[in-house]
Amino acid sequence: MPVAHGQVNKSMTLSNSDAETPDRIVELRLPSRLGYEKVAMDAAASLARRMGFNGDRVEALRTALAEAVTNAIEHGNERDSAMKVLVVLIVRPDELVVSVADQGLKPLDHDQTTHIPNIEETLHKSDKGGWGIWLIRELMDEVEFSTAPSGGNQVRMVIHLEQ
Amino acid sequence: MLEDELNVSIRDRDGVAIIDLVGDVTTFAEEKINSAYAQVNEKGARAILLNFRQNDYINSAGIAILIGIVTEVNRNNQKLAVSGLSQHFQKIFRMVGLAQYIDIYQDEEEAVKGFAATATQ
Amino acid sequence: MCAVTESSHKLSTIELSVPSELGYEKVVRDTIAAFARRLGFDNERIDDLKTAIGEACINAIEHGNGGVPDQRISVSCICEDERLTVEVRDRGVKPYDGHAAVPSIEQKLQGIAPLRGMGLMLIAQLVDEADFTNHPAGGNLFRLSLYRRRDAAHP
Repeated sequence: MPVAHGQVNKSMTLSNSDAETPDRIVELRLPSRLGYEKVAMDAAASLARRMGFNGDRVEALRTALAEAVTNAIEHGNERDSAMKVLVVLIVRPDELVVSVADQGLKPLDHDQTTHIPNIEETLHKSDKGGWGIWLIRELMDEVEFSTAPSGGNQVRMVIHLEQ
Repeated sequence: MLEDELNVSIRDRDGVAIIDLVGDVTTFAEEKINSAYAQVNEKGARAILLNFRQNDYINSAGIAILIGIVTEVNRNNQKLAVSGLSQHFQKIFRMVGLAQYIDIYQDEEEAVKGFAATATQ
Repeated sequence: MCAVTESSHKLSTIELSVPSELGYEKVVRDTIAAFARRLGFDNERIDDLKTAIGEACINAIEHGNGGVPDQRISVSCICEDERLTVEVRDRGVKPYDGHAAVPSIEQKLQGIAPLRGMGLMLIAQLVDEADFTNHPAGGNLFRLSLYRRRDAAHP
């Protein structure tokens, strides 16, 4: 192909991690229906694997993203499948940033994003859920909850690439 | 990022030069495949096997590289075969006409036997 | 999980946007494969779809976007009752200029035709429908569809 190969190759190679390398962004919009979180998981895993994350880290990312997307579907968008979940993956030389935003029918309060569940406690409660956010915090290197530009809930997760 | 994910290595088995291709075969594979072929060619290989493994992704640019190898093999009077392709990529090889020029074997074992059988004919 | 009523088709659409850079077609392939798997397509047809989508994306990257960095490609995946449709849109730096005759492998081996240029031929053989249109807002739109066949196992 007469297309500038040198250029393409350069930007494709992780070792060329100079400050000039711009972020590469992948955006995925999904309907708020359970099951679609698997599409997001496979998209992120495909990207992460090819960035050089090892199998364990890719699995951690899949699990964290599944929790974030199902939260967005079930809580933020209250399972209204006309509502979209936006997943943004930002590829950097040394990390992958994953943001999940919903359309915020039901904002998360501070308590929900910081609560540390306890297995003993949960065994006695009728609601056995509430582990998702805790799991995300356990699995990802950086986690931040905020309000998305769209007004919905947003969780921003970062996973570092250890060389 | 998303760099090429192909590992190419060369070995010999019963007089067959085996080029193992593990991973994706796309436009980024060109240098690796061509240099592996150049190496076995330099060593005087008569029978060459492209042994595919874990190839989730072979695209038309990758197939173009293989057609280039067929051209060289014909020019140098060598025999070329492939093994280890999934059913899907065996179908793709047939679609583009490569199957007319390359013997397709299920696995390395079968390919090595196939080479031995044609050598004694 | 595919919608049954017409009004809900839009509800079963996923949209994906990636940098116009070789390598990112792999992410598109894996994402759409996950979608097709959810819709119940079998592995053989998902392999066909993956190969076709990879080729369509490479066309968009190398031709439609003219290899210009910083462009993007947009992919929509629409689930309908009878089919799964994937639309790949580029920015139309180079317009699609019709179906050129595909050189034979003999011509390639004789060195009288370029080795590349098999993508569209492969796509046409792998999916049930494939065509190019101009996107109303500019750019080339390549649309390919896979029918949901009702075979013996799923009457």
